[in-house]
Amino acid sequence: MRGRPAWMWILLVIAAVGAVPAVMTDPFFLRLFTEALMWIGLAITWDVMAGYTGYLNFGHGVFFGVGAYTAALLIIRAGMPFGLAAALGGLVAGVVALVSGWPTLRLRGAYFAIGTWALNRAVGQLALVLEITGGPDGMRLPPFLRPQFFAWVMLAVVGATFLALWLLLEQAPFGLKLKAIREDESGSLAIGLNPARLKLQAFVLSAVPAGIIGGVYAYWITFIDPSSTLGDLITDQAVVMAIFGGLGTLIGPVIGAIVFFAFKTYFWAYLSDYQVLYLIILGLAIAATVFFLPDGFWGAVTNRLEGRRALRKGLSLGEAAGT
Amino acid sequence: MAEPVLRLEDVSMAFGGLMAVQDVSFDVAPGEIVGLIGPNGAGKTTVFNTVSGYYRPTRGRISFLGRDVTGRPPYALAAMGIGRTFQIVKPFAGLSVLENVLVASYLRYPRQAEARQKAWEVLKFIGLGERAHLPAAGLTVAGRKRLEMGKALALEPRLLLLDEVVAGLNPTEADQTVRLILRIRDAGVTILIVEHIMRVIMTISTRLIVLNFGQMIAQGRPEAVAQDRQVIEAYLGEDAGGAGGVCA
Amino acid sequence: MLALLPQAIVDGVLLGGIYLTVAMGFSLAYGVLHVIDFAVGEWIMLGAFAGLAFTEWTHLDPLLSLPAIFVVFAAVGWMLQPLLQRVLSGSRGRPVLMALVFTFGLALAIRGSALTIFGIFTHSLNTALSQGSWHVSRGSFFLTVPFIRLAGLVYALAVIAVLNYLLKRTDFGLAVRAVAQHKEAAGLMGVDIRRTSAAVYGLYVGTSAMTGVFIGAIVSLNASMGPDLSLFAFFVVVLAGMGYLAGAPWAAFLLGLIQSFFLIYFNPSYVLLALFTILYLILLISPTGMFRRGV
Repeated sequence: MRGRPAWMWILLVIAAVGAVPAVMTDPFFLRLFTEALMWIGLAITWDVMAGYTGYLNFGHGVFFGVGAYTAALLIIRAGMPFGLAAALGGLVAGVVALVSGWPTLRLRGAYFAIGTWALNRAVGQLALVLEITGGPDGMRLPPFLRPQFFAWVMLAVVGATFLALWLLLEQAPFGLKLKAIREDESGSLAIGLNPARLKLQAFVLSAVPAGIIGGVYAYWITFIDPSSTLGDLITDQAVVMAIFGGLGTLIGPVIGAIVFFAFKTYFWAYLSDYQVLYLIILGLAIAATVFFLPDGFWGAVTNRLEGRRALRKGLSLGEAAGT
Repeated sequence: MAEPVLRLEDVSMAFGGLMAVQDVSFDVAPGEIVGLIGPNGAGKTTVFNTVSGYYRPTRGRISFLGRDVTGRPPYALAAMGIGRTFQIVKPFAGLSVLENVLVASYLRYPRQAEARQKAWEVLKFIGLGERAHLPAAGLTVAGRKRLEMGKALALEPRLLLLDEVVAGLNPTEADQTVRLILRIRDAGVTILIVEHIMRVIMTISTRLIVLNFGQMIAQGRPEAVAQDRQVIEAYLGEDAGGAGGVCA
Repeated sequence: MLALLPQAIVDGVLLGGIYLTVAMGFSLAYGVLHVIDFAVGEWIMLGAFAGLAFTEWTHLDPLLSLPAIFVVFAAVGWMLQPLLQRVLSGSRGRPVLMALVFTFGLALAIRGSALTIFGIFTHSLNTALSQGSWHVSRGSFFLTVPFIRLAGLVYALAVIAVLNYLLKRTDFGLAVRAVAQHKEAAGLMGVDIRRTSAAVYGLYVGTSAMTGVFIGAIVSLNASMGPDLSLFAFFVVVLAGMGYLAGAPWAAFLLGLIQSFFLIYFNPSYVLLALFTILYLILLISPTGMFRRGV
């Protein structure tokens, strides 16, 4: 693309989005705005492992929950300021990724899916039984009810995450190396890649932002408990959003998150009596997307575009992609 | 002989009770093209796998450029200068042809711009420049084999292990590949090549090593090896022991 | 404390028997289809609810529903497997990963449906055997074995015997083992891969559902019990070594013992944590299972 580099466009978009909370100050809208951003963050971080590296993390929510609980504990028990607490939430999530990833990433994808899924359930169980985390009653944080503030904080965190992931996965060699591992881990050894190390780096990269987002969530909602932060639903929704949007890209999960969040909001507004119906829809959405749209929405779009461009120019597919 | 690029000393590889390779020792001198031949199951790919770090030999020592590299992982060996292709080609199917070579280029050129330049050079060298943006999965067998070689070449190896890069190609493609191999040799790369197509390996190898049932049964110039009785028996069976030679 | 030991051991063994039936079906399905079915716990759960529904409609003992439940669920599995197969043979994306996601989504949909239809409450399956128990008391040694748990063990042994016979002594079993080892070769030798795979999946779903009836009777049932049961199935199979059927009994009984020990001696809520820790240690030390024979 001629003109300004991609990262400037990204910053521009973030700035443009940042103007919205200044103008639209209705608290309900700002809440939706903040939550939509939160889901974008969770979806793109899930995609780091699933789409780029080819490893399914069915317990991704554990990073979010660990971040939330860490921040909550630090704010309540240690009187730490919010920003620092959220940052440490991300750090602890990163450590969890490091420690849990080291044994499980050496194995095949199925074991990794099981291991991460089990980790999420185990940590959820831990939060339920420990006194310090408040058990099933959860924890209440000191209220700081400023919708605009949280809208901007979430935008800053998720925006920075997107930018960082863009630079690391789309611009820097790191992303392509991960994809090579995804395509053929054994073959990637022969060209000088160390998959164990790269996968662990990717895993930590996916965990830290999710942890920070969790920390922000805790202070924003002022209440956390095991089911809301360490339950299945966090992971389940992130999975739907990323898969529906399109794995292996950053734009795909963003689109998937926005679309699905819009659907979810509409659903809760009109069908909140049928809460468990939501689970069914989630599950069917995942299964149906895998079945009918394996490349996701964005993947289908880019496939179409490449085909059209080739037809228009009368070129072969390969040559068209290069122009 | 100048210091050998590669030296195997009593290398053995056992899988459970099966000795795939037994007490194999040989040198590869700089600039040589050494052919590794033998009937199916003789252990040729196993030797490759030990030299490229995919297997750790049960016994023995492997030295590369004078350094002991026994048991080092493949990525370490790639960094030291060993490149290889795979008998069953392993392109990164979801990536483009260019991206396949680009990932390999990062080893020597960690920066994006230089790596890209290197990748384009390699693509032109192997003749895949026009198909750079095609998905690797869309290449023909010949294209894939050349891409394999390209990925290994991007590592700027001192030693290149070629595993059946000519098998499955039609005569024209095979000739092109042979010319490519010779160009690689001329560029200063030492080559160890496994190949079943006798015509090819006889003409380009400076030296042949023959394996049978995991053991070395002959070593030397192609003409001499072709007349070796043990080699003939290994390929054609004991009845053919008196016949001419392994056909070239 | 020591007096409780025999009880803990017996309970553990009996529980382990139940888990073994789940693990065997699951491991079999994995060996043939090469996909981890994240919905394994949901099939068990559905079977339990099917038993409950059977009892409420017919007022008969839930154990009598076993044959019907097997047939119905085996049919469901048989019909579902081609869908799974289509995902697995997809040309785009990474099929094995996508199949995992597919079963993950399926599990979620099943759980949501169960919650919708059956609500959030916990039920219990009452059978003719639920009340009685075999009681031994000699000095400080005592043992109580509820009949229903004993029945569970009998069921488990029967299932294992039948599966064993099927696999080792019938043509169908031969086909299954061929497909598990080398699909293409099996196909070339005249094995109908599609039908064999569908049959195996049906067998696995049917068996899991039957096991659900026993779990519902021995423990309890609720619409959210699926994930924990899936975790148990994963635990047994990973511990035994994926695809290594002979290791499953040891792992299943170990799981049963761990659970019963926690129930009797420690805090039951820590069971999941203990299982998880052991799972992780196994993956750390010996990813191919405790016998190092896994895949």
